[in-house]
Amino acid sequence: MQKLVVIGAGMATGRALEHLLDTAPGAYDITLFNAEPRGNYNRIMLSPVLSGEKSYEEIVTHDADWYEENGITCRFGEKVVSIDRERKVVVGEQGEVAYDKLIFGTGSSPFIIPVPGHDLPGVVAYRDLEDTNAMIEAAGKPGARAVVIGGGLLGLEAAAGLRLRGMEVTVLHLMGHLMERQLDEAAGYLLKKDLESRGIEVRLEAATNEISGDGKVERVLLEDGTVLDADIVVMSVGIRPAIGLAKDAGLDCGRALKVDAQMQTSDPDIYALGECVEFDGNVFGLVAPLYDQAKVLAKTLAGEADAFVMKQLSTKLKVTGCDLFSAGDFAGGEGREDIVYRDPARGIYKRLVIEDDQLIGAVMYGDTADGNWFFGLIKDGTDISEMRETLIFGPAYQGGAAADPLSAVAALPPDAEICGCNGVCKGDITAAIEGGATDLGAIRAQTKASASCGTCTGLVEQVLSVALGDDFVMPTAQPVCGCTDLTHEDVRRLIKARELKSQPAVWQELGWTTPNGCHVCRPAVNFYLLADWPLEYRDDPQSRFVNERNHANIQKDGTYSVMPRMWGGMTDANELRAIADAADKYGATVKVTGGQRIDLLGVKKEDLPAIWADLNGAGMVSGHAYTKGLRTVKTCVGKDWCRFGTQDSTGLGIALEKRLWGSWTPHKVKLGVSGCPRNCAEATCKDIGIVCVDSGYQIGVGGAAGMDVKEVERLVDVKTEEEAIEWVVAFVQLYREHAKYLDRAYKWLGKVGLEWVQEVLADDAERAALVERFDLSQSVYQTDPWAERAEPEAARRFQPLADLTLEAAE
Amino acid sequence: MDTAIDSVTDTFIQVSEVWVPDTETGETLVLAEGSYGELAGFEAASRRESFAKGEGLPGKAWAEARPVVLKGFDGSYFKRTEAAREAGLTAAVAVPVFDGDTLNAVLVVLCGDDDTRTGAIEVWADTDGLLMLDDGYYGAAKHFEWVSQHTHFPRGQGLPGGVRASHTPMLMRDLGSGYRFIRADSAGKAGLTTGLGLPVPVPGGAGYVLTLLSARGTPIARRFELWDARSVKVGRDRAAVLADGVCQREGPLWTDDTQEPPRRVAPWQGQIGKVLATGVPVVTSGNPGLSAGYETMVALPIHDDGEIAHIVAWYC
Repeated sequence: MQKLVVIGAGMATGRALEHLLDTAPGAYDITLFNAEPRGNYNRIMLSPVLSGEKSYEEIVTHDADWYEENGITCRFGEKVVSIDRERKVVVGEQGEVAYDKLIFGTGSSPFIIPVPGHDLPGVVAYRDLEDTNAMIEAAGKPGARAVVIGGGLLGLEAAAGLRLRGMEVTVLHLMGHLMERQLDEAAGYLLKKDLESRGIEVRLEAATNEISGDGKVERVLLEDGTVLDADIVVMSVGIRPAIGLAKDAGLDCGRALKVDAQMQTSDPDIYALGECVEFDGNVFGLVAPLYDQAKVLAKTLAGEADAFVMKQLSTKLKVTGCDLFSAGDFAGGEGREDIVYRDPARGIYKRLVIEDDQLIGAVMYGDTADGNWFFGLIKDGTDISEMRETLIFGPAYQGGAAADPLSAVAALPPDAEICGCNGVCKGDITAAIEGGATDLGAIRAQTKASASCGTCTGLVEQVLSVALGDDFVMPTAQPVCGCTDLTHEDVRRLIKARELKSQPAVWQELGWTTPNGCHVCRPAVNFYLLADWPLEYRDDPQSRFVNERNHANIQKDGTYSVMPRMWGGMTDANELRAIADAADKYGATVKVTGGQRIDLLGVKKEDLPAIWADLNGAGMVSGHAYTKGLRTVKTCVGKDWCRFGTQDSTGLGIALEKRLWGSWTPHKVKLGVSGCPRNCAEATCKDIGIVCVDSGYQIGVGGAAGMDVKEVERLVDVKTEEEAIEWVVAFVQLYREHAKYLDRAYKWLGKVGLEWVQEVLADDAERAALVERFDLSQSVYQTDPWAERAEPEAARRFQPLADLTLEAAE
Repeated sequence: MDTAIDSVTDTFIQVSEVWVPDTETGETLVLAEGSYGELAGFEAASRRESFAKGEGLPGKAWAEARPVVLKGFDGSYFKRTEAAREAGLTAAVAVPVFDGDTLNAVLVVLCGDDDTRTGAIEVWADTDGLLMLDDGYYGAAKHFEWVSQHTHFPRGQGLPGGVRASHTPMLMRDLGSGYRFIRADSAGKAGLTTGLGLPVPVPGGAGYVLTLLSARGTPIARRFELWDARSVKVGRDRAAVLADGVCQREGPLWTDDTQEPPRRVAPWQGQIGKVLATGVPVVTSGNPGLSAGYETMVALPIHDDGEIAHIVAWYC
């Protein structure tokens, strides 16, 4: 095992050790030196410790147990005296340690202004726990006064902490505004005002001449002659990389200890990271790049390739109630453009700096909600030209604001049914949660909710989320569209549970983010509403695809195809004559379809009402070749004609078609009825396919012969034609009530499982109820759209508009 | 965090309840939720009760638009005196929850007086930039009570002054070290450790700060959470992020947001989400969904500028 010695138990080396122990456990025998008599703690959280808003224990990153568990030899409170690179040993105050690899994490030292009196007791820097405790101690004296020299990040955090501790605090800052490296003047002004409202005195352009006192700090003298009483002086004017040891060891140093992108120094066995290093001319003071360096160094030591790259940095101030954020470069200049937003009443200032269509800097005061988003745009160099007008308002303005996704479920009363299959109400689920069920599995086990078809799973999860908060992690689900966070299944269940019977009710009660949906959700919601509330809801043609709206399929040349229904594929001479006449009259091409129908192609839109009227006149109705509904029932000739036929397959096909036509379904539905297992009607690749046998009827469901080719699965075998019709109708209604819009039957079955469907339909009462609900719906929807639209008033919609552009041109 | 101290059984606050304007007339306060522990008699009396504006303790907090501390019920305007006496309750604090000029609810907490229960519930009022003790209930911490009565906090100083200046709830960790000189010393002796301070916005702009100071032996709570819900912090989509918190069972609840985003809840997501969605405090008990398995939770919204700015929650 190689020997690794680490000098400095700070945040950077701490993170590097964590990564190294993860990446290459047991690869190194590690010894850790630290001049402070303790291990690693989150140094950037010292300010809340100073203010009393955190305890030291809370910010300890690695405690004694962690070091012990990881076999790290700790030499805390012991300074390293020197490095002997020849012998590869680190010389500590208590003795030597040999190394194969050495890491420098010596950090930085506070810069102390060398004014007279800078070494008096009571002058402290703000670097470590000792400094923090010294300040807390000083604050314990009634009426104590503090002077903080330096209005940068750390100085202001110290000032706020000391004020909260009860001190009278003055901040002295040499420059014209606070935090001038991170803030522009306007933000600096707001920050000053904010600090002053806390009783902190801020003096800008204030130069310190002298610190004086009798054996300890008593006052600070400024260049302009002002004298400030002080019990403690906090120097917070900057840091210097701590590189004395590295220099003495003869390592290559500039402003700091030089490293390459693998964090290697000029000695290939010595590495460095953190505030003591210089990379590509840069030195470091914020934690984010240090953590990046830690990752790279751990990989390097584990023999993996990685390279450190400089990234943009952002700044936040840890003073409770002061919300500021800055990132990137916000200096003005030629070719740079500012976008500024101010809300004086609320103390909000936001400024964005743009160059070459990219955001290069952002300063925010009072409203930092979008800080990270702006920071991302800066880091990624995103082209913002498209969103320039609304950029300052943040990401929410780039799209609709999301509604409260859980509000719909939260608003459900306890007796609202969540799981239709098992009759489980919201109150049952809530009671189970109160009884200790905290995940979906437990809810299923205790209540049976979502244990059957599973389409209510999303809602059950939302009830869990409402009850348990963020302790319950919601699985990500695909929402219907960008207008909502709800899934199709959620919307279906909520339409039922909340008895939503109109589109506006759905938009409002389910928190749609758009005024009235979009081309994706409207057809789905329209279907769900008409399927659930056939009497109360009225189909909305504007929520339908163009073919359904025009009741004909538009073709590639803009004409339409017209296909009359032929019950079970049967026709007669009169119908054929009417079709032939229509073909002649309207110049249509005639095609026999795979579903045993005759299609008239090439009909102009304005001729549609007339051809429908003509075909209606011959007793024919729309074949619905364009709908998400019943298409065709394909049959063979059956036992009346065929030598092998076992039942009247044609008769059954006609009966089914006459019962089912006109109904809207989630997707198209095709049926086939074959008179014997030879299956001439190809029934076994239909959504519903019946194969007649001597003993009765084999009903299969979930077949397909399109992009996916699937054979049906057996739903049930029945003895009589009546039973066959009842089962088919019940199946269609179950599909209508539960499937996601645009799921063919086989897709729906794939989700809910055939077993569940069989279980539901096997229940005589349930089957009868489904049939009853289907018939109720048919009482409204089994109408011939051709007949309706062949009326003169309705037909007008199909006439082309006058070509006004031509007139205008003339 | 030391989990051994979790074994204490006595809490400083024995009853918490939320009174809301009745939905029909809005003219009386009716009980929305309450946590009564084993004090069934007092619970029953409370469930029968309602308060008009100015009537009883909740009605007084509503009418006077300020938090009210009541110590000793006999002969007072307190309406449930007999039931309280039987339950051993001797003091109560009512905190009105206003959204602008509209009263959303009144949170009432009740305590029992004995020689062992130590803690403090204080109301500080801003008088010309100085936070003066308006009133407070301290249980057995009599010396601390005396010290507090003779202490004032300029804005920005101490828990009350810090809360007032920052318009933000704050959670102080160690009141015994440096919680403003004499008071800190006395707090240390009284065993007071954690301090929660929160602004109580009321119509007219008067400045009130409520502080809950918790002692180890009879804690006000074993878990405190501060949620930030300001749109300037969380963005346009309503949400709350956990800004700070401590828990005897789970340790620190804050995250270093440079490394890990804070916990975030949306409206209706759990109890905090419910407060966020309704703007009304939540008192719930016996709910196994509560964080870290606590028995009781109180969550209180703080409104500002037409929105819920913060939510503070404490758990026992």
